[in-house]
Amino acid sequence: MIDKQILIKAGHLGALLISRWRARANTKMISGLTIISLIIVLAIIAPLITWYPPLKTLIGKPLTPPCLKHPFGTDDLGRDIYSNVIYGARISLFVGATSVAISLVIGILVGAVAGYYGGLIGDLLMRITDMFLVIPRFLLALIIAAIFGQSIFNIILAIGITGWPAVARLIRAEYLSIKERPYVEAAKAIGLKDRQIIFGEILPNAITPLIPYSVLETGTAILIEASLSFLGLGDPNVPSWGLMLNNARQYLRIAWWMAFFPGLALSLVVLGLNLLGDGLTEYLSHT
Amino acid sequence: MSPLLSFIAKRVLQAIPLIFVTIIITFILVHAAPGDPTYILTGEIGDEEFVKMLRAKFGLDRPLHEQFVIYLWNVLRGDLGYSYIKGASVSKLILERIPATMILVITGMTLAVIIGIPIGIILAIRRDVIGTLLSFLSLLGVSTPYFWLGQMLLIIFALILGLFPVGGMIDVKAGHQGLDYFLDLLHHLTLPAVTLAIFNIAYIARITRASLIEALNQNYIVTARAKGLSERTVLLKHALRNALLPVTTYTGLTIGVLLVGAILTETIYSWPGMGLLLYEALRLRDYPVVLGVFIYGSIIVIVANLIVDILYAILDPRIRIR
Repeated sequence: MIDKQILIKAGHLGALLISRWRARANTKMISGLTIISLIIVLAIIAPLITWYPPLKTLIGKPLTPPCLKHPFGTDDLGRDIYSNVIYGARISLFVGATSVAISLVIGILVGAVAGYYGGLIGDLLMRITDMFLVIPRFLLALIIAAIFGQSIFNIILAIGITGWPAVARLIRAEYLSIKERPYVEAAKAIGLKDRQIIFGEILPNAITPLIPYSVLETGTAILIEASLSFLGLGDPNVPSWGLMLNNARQYLRIAWWMAFFPGLALSLVVLGLNLLGDGLTEYLSHT
Repeated sequence: MSPLLSFIAKRVLQAIPLIFVTIIITFILVHAAPGDPTYILTGEIGDEEFVKMLRAKFGLDRPLHEQFVIYLWNVLRGDLGYSYIKGASVSKLILERIPATMILVITGMTLAVIIGIPIGIILAIRRDVIGTLLSFLSLLGVSTPYFWLGQMLLIIFALILGLFPVGGMIDVKAGHQGLDYFLDLLHHLTLPAVTLAIFNIAYIARITRASLIEALNQNYIVTARAKGLSERTVLLKHALRNALLPVTTYTGLTIGVLLVGAILTETIYSWPGMGLLLYEALRLRDYPVVLGVFIYGSIIVIVANLIVDILYAILDPRIRIR
């Protein structure tokens, strides 16, 4: 009798622990998802919730502190910082999503070919990948942006083509293990082409570890864009948080709001993505 | 040859092609850039005589493969070109700035390791309020960009409270000597080093936590506990020692991240290192300096990785055999 009760108690405790753990993993995921969804919604409805066009100068008196008319104040050229921060979310999210998409396409192609075929091609591809992993990504993106000029597309391209090596490594590892499974064997036996096996059969089963990675990577890409813009390599024709922070440098003494709000927005997006990515990693590794 | 020596030799040989790759990438970028490569090699300004001289020096009228050999030879001799704007050779400009960057990076990293590892241990073993709070703070730490954190610290501690200088490395006007000089340096160093450290404290704490949790799940921990060792001994002597190995690697790999952090931090506090040089060069479109910082930065990262690999092999005999 006593034994049974102990077992039941232990079972309860176990269930409690598991549910608490689950709740923990989900707290991160849910809070991250909430922050990111909120920012996406704000970015989409930007015209509805702002009163002034971004980038338009002399909307208000230059360097006005936060007030009712300009909740985040105005900058040195009299631009409304609130509008620019909200519209800046569009740019940040766009840069993050597109540059990660570029990294994913290149990384998946390289990793899949290297993992599936292996041998000399695989070795060669991985050597190249390792080389790119060592070269400091930010510096590479920086000279690409510096040399090719300051348009947002160059920046996206620079961030995208410096981000693929990690993807290639992740995907290769997946392919190496998956290609030994019986279903791949079966796919070969029924005469599917390599292309069909690589992309149709293996890929859907190989992308799970890429999900949390892509989320975290989006945060990194957004940070790189902001850093490049902060160093003066940003596209002056789009409202970017990094550019606003660069602009704020000279006015820190008299206009703290010029730096405070764009940076807060940037940190919040990155925090949201990190929370979501961490939560997803924990969630996927234990279910 | 002992396995360790052959391991070191192998790693050094692997590092050399990486430096070549860096140079090749630079060369390709210079030539793939829109317009005349002379423009990139001279920077924005340059009189006709100077441009002519450069065209001859880089052999810009010759076929591309010959140009590459010339370029490679120049870089390998340490000749990275001449900054017309600064009136000095690029190598000299960069080498002058490396000590300042090193002071900042080493201080920041030391702070990060001393504070980050204990926080990581707490994160791994405490699941209560303190653990959750620290876990959130570490997430916040890796999410806050250097340049924003730096600006906020600057506004609060230098501009409002006036506790620290706004920028620079030394108060030149005061003309300090000896100990005063050192204290003045420390005074200037505090804010930049803290800015650089915060992200890395959080980063190292997260790595320490992950590898400590993994180490705690190993069989030797079960053995150690079964022997009746105290939880403290198990944690600090058995688990932590093994968990610190991956932390060493990551700390080495972070050198790249740190260098970037230093570049951004230096621009905020006008800390006269490579980062500030790069920032000024970008503003003035002084491309030779920008390319030079890229090459030097890459070499620093490659060498740092090499040193960490070797250290790792010394610390962990298993690695040498592989």
